[in-house]
Amino acid sequence: MYSYTEFDEAFVRERVAQFRAQVERRIDGSLTEDEFKPLRLMNGLYLQLHAYMLRVAVPYGTLNSRQMNQLAYIAETWDKGYGHFTTRQNIQYNWPLLKDVPDMLDALADVGMHAIQTSGNTIRNVTADHFAGAAADEIEDPRPYAELLRQWSTDHPEFQFLPRKFKIAVTGAPNDRAVVKAHDIGLEIVKNDAGETGFRVLVGGGLGRTPMIGKVIRDFLPKDDLLPYCEAIVSVYNLLGRRDNKYKARIKITVHENGLDEFKAQVEDRFALLRGQFGGADQQLLAEIKAQFARPDLPARDLSGFTTAYDNDPVFRAWVDTNVAEHAVDGYALLTISLKAHGETPGDATAEQMREMAALAAEYSSDELRISHEQNVILPHVAKSDLPAIHARLQQHGLATANIGLISDIIACPGMDYCALATARSIPVAQQIATRFDELKMEHDIGPLKIKISGCINACGHHHVGHIGILGLDRAGVENYQITLGGDGTEDAAIGTRTGPGFAYDQIVPAIETLVETYLDERESPDETFLDTYKRVGMAPFKAALYPAEEKSRAA
Amino acid sequence: MPLDPASAPVADRVRDLNERYRHHGATAVLERALSDAQVGNIALVSSFGAESVVLLHMISVMDRTTPVLFIDTQMLFEETLQYQLDVSEKLGLTDVRSIRPDPEKIRELDRFGALHLSDPDACCDLRKTQTLASALAPFDAWITGRKRFQGGQRAALEFFENEGDIRIKVNPLAHWAKDDVRDYMINNRLPRHPLVSQGYPSIGCKPCTSKVAEGEDERAGRWRGKDKVECGIHFINGKPVRRVAEGTEGEATPQEETTMSVIVTDGGFAADDWNGELAAPEDTGAAAVLLPSDADPEVLRDRLDQLKLVAVDFPSFADGRGFTIARRLRLMGYTGRLRAKGHVIADQYAMARRVGFDEVEIDLDLATRQPEDQWLRRAEWKAHDYQSRLRA
Ligand code: HEM
Ligand code: SF4
Ligand code: SF4
Repeated sequence: MYSYTEFDEAFVRERVAQFRAQVERRIDGSLTEDEFKPLRLMNGLYLQLHAYMLRVAVPYGTLNSRQMNQLAYIAETWDKGYGHFTTRQNIQYNWPLLKDVPDMLDALADVGMHAIQTSGNTIRNVTADHFAGAAADEIEDPRPYAELLRQWSTDHPEFQFLPRKFKIAVTGAPNDRAVVKAHDIGLEIVKNDAGETGFRVLVGGGLGRTPMIGKVIRDFLPKDDLLPYCEAIVSVYNLLGRRDNKYKARIKITVHENGLDEFKAQVEDRFALLRGQFGGADQQLLAEIKAQFARPDLPARDLSGFTTAYDNDPVFRAWVDTNVAEHAVDGYALLTISLKAHGETPGDATAEQMREMAALAAEYSSDELRISHEQNVILPHVAKSDLPAIHARLQQHGLATANIGLISDIIACPGMDYCALATARSIPVAQQIATRFDELKMEHDIGPLKIKISGCINACGHHHVGHIGILGLDRAGVENYQITLGGDGTEDAAIGTRTGPGFAYDQIVPAIETLVETYLDERESPDETFLDTYKRVGMAPFKAALYPAEEKSRAA
Repeated sequence: MPLDPASAPVADRVRDLNERYRHHGATAVLERALSDAQVGNIALVSSFGAESVVLLHMISVMDRTTPVLFIDTQMLFEETLQYQLDVSEKLGLTDVRSIRPDPEKIRELDRFGALHLSDPDACCDLRKTQTLASALAPFDAWITGRKRFQGGQRAALEFFENEGDIRIKVNPLAHWAKDDVRDYMINNRLPRHPLVSQGYPSIGCKPCTSKVAEGEDERAGRWRGKDKVECGIHFINGKPVRRVAEGTEGEATPQEETTMSVIVTDGGFAADDWNGELAAPEDTGAAAVLLPSDADPEVLRDRLDQLKLVAVDFPSFADGRGFTIARRLRLMGYTGRLRAKGHVIADQYAMARRVGFDEVEIDLDLATRQPEDQWLRRAEWKAHDYQSRLRA
């Protein structure tokens, strides 16, 4: 795992000192509210519905037990004892006081963490596959590149006042777990015909009010060219991106309006101008970073304990079947701890739960944890033989929910409960769906099904790429939920299609039930997932089930 | 102690002194001033500026215990403070008194150190005039380094002046020419103020002193861009004169300046020393252009080497295009002066420097709201810079 160099440490401290002074200068009038706003945003401080919100980066989703313990400490000391893990590998504190924020930032710096560029019109926290460095299907660990990009984008003098926010994600595996196609820049590590590894570069993906799938701007970018190429893209965007209308300011619109060819031509021009700026210092740094990401020693372990528990304990078995993924090393597992206990707020963790997960990581997972964009926590290097003991510990802390990838593993944005922009509630909808299907005990039978909920068109909940997406809108003062089907956030990325008119708050859960029943009727076998069935049969049967009256009137 | 009130009135003594010393040189005048009973208790007031060392040297030879009053406005150059220490020690002066403005009043009137921008007269009044006035209270006379050749109000300077019937002002160098000053310093091997060699022939407070171009008046760098020529410590009728009334001695009546701006560099605030116009980018003959933030820097490609100054407009600090424009210009090979002009905030200073700007031009309002120290805090823009580690 990467640990801060002296340079990083000094940088972050200086940045906290600057922010402390900015808060004081806001108070004494040196900075206007307008001027202070982007400065606080680029330090992670949002103004929400009820209070400030501090968004802390977990770069590429990786952290150690000391850092997780510190997140718990911060939650207890300056917040209400919990934190919220987000879809971009951040953790948010919803109740800090402005005056405490510099101290919180100092506490983060104590463990090599920060909140820099987690908000604002900057290059945001670079995200990566949460299984990086451990997944069986991986070509190369993407995190060293993400770290290199973090250093490059941090305080980049050209890019602190972009037309709009800018998000980059990297994956090193063909199975995309980082939703790279829905990012402003998506990077996929690929091999070319000559067997060299490099990047396939996508631009202009994004969700929000105009969802778009990223377009390939370079099929194969040599790895050494990563920084100058990304710089060329952002630099072209900085001049070309629209600043007259914030809804048209994202790079997806820039690419769309100018056309990929024109955009690409400008990027290649700029790249030629810039290439010479990077003469190898970046590659040297990369080599040092890579050394820090070496996979820990994972000695062979006896599997009998695991096998016995798996064969005899159905609860344990169900949990392993859903929450454990294949590790690159035999006898080891990638364990996902669900933060989606039925009826709880998706993504929330209490300080006590954070400490327990930290302790488990220290004991069983080479001191490593991951945060996934699906708002869960991962122990990436667990010996299978330790799983029974871990399961027992998790059960004691309400963390043993066996629902990863299932209908109750919902992504939901904060919505009306916290968010100033919300047009509808989203957390209560997630809670009710989870509770309902838990009562029906159908969840495991339904199988993989991703529901994603946003409380407004900004799409923080990724509803466009949910197999079932739910978007909460405000229709003349009444909450109204639109449903989309067939969205996909993986390598086969697709934007969901609307079913038709939306549903009222008290009709949305029954509507989801209807959709699920339709799927169960339509599927050819229990192995055919919801998404596969939808792709095979299309929208019609689902629509017919959702809007029976209309279908009838049309038939009549 | 002040002179016995029974002694002759100031006006009479001044007339008498000027009469007696008419044909004397500077050293004789000074020597007499230090000892003549008609003069009384005397101090040298020195700014430790570009030419101060001449008088300091003279008194160190005649009487190094003479009180020297050094007005530290707290807006001086670091170099001046250091120079004061070095010179005092080298010359063996034993009674150099640094006098500073009243902290209470500073807190009240100029908490952010920005008064000089909005109202330099008030600033000089606060930091120099009032400070000096209280420091001079116990003296009957003071020595200044003013010279006739400095022109303006000084053209008719006498050795001895009546200052409001209260005090005598002695100007031993009144008749010196520029060369005399230089020769004296060379002949006596006197240390020069370090800023002189950097283009400052006249040195005052840092914010109000800028470099002077060849051929310009020596004092042109003081309060550049403002209709101010004296700081106000030279009293008339016992009151500080900050502005001479209309029709006297050639000083122009103050005019309202509306377009005043401040140039920020790593050294802090200064007045704009670019005297020409900023042309539109289409004006192909121009030596200096103002590039709007939505311009394509390519329009300048063919004449980058003719341009002396390119200013890039920042209509709003949130419009970050200027940063990319600057970087592009540098990558295209532009090596001239590059200025960020408009709404750039102190927090962006390091960014501006890192992308290739040399300086930032802001308006007075912004400079008042975000005074120099806030900018200086970002002046070490080379530190803590990820880019410099990655780009090599
Ligand atoms: C509660 C305060 C929040 C506010 C005010 C907020 C605001 C916004 C806005 C305005 C956008 C649209 C940006 C655009 O399209 O230009 C957006 C997008 C997004 N937000 Fe949030 N957000 C909040 C919380 C969250 C949380 C908690 C998460 C994660 C769980 C999140 C994840 C995202 C993501 C992933 C996008 C990207 C959609 C895209 O690609 O365009 N946000 N947010
Ligand atoms: S989707 Fe809308 S409601 Fe939900 S967090 Fe984002 S901005 Fe707020
Ligand atoms: S010279 Fe400038 S800074 Fe110094 S006292 Fe006068 S106005 Fe103020």
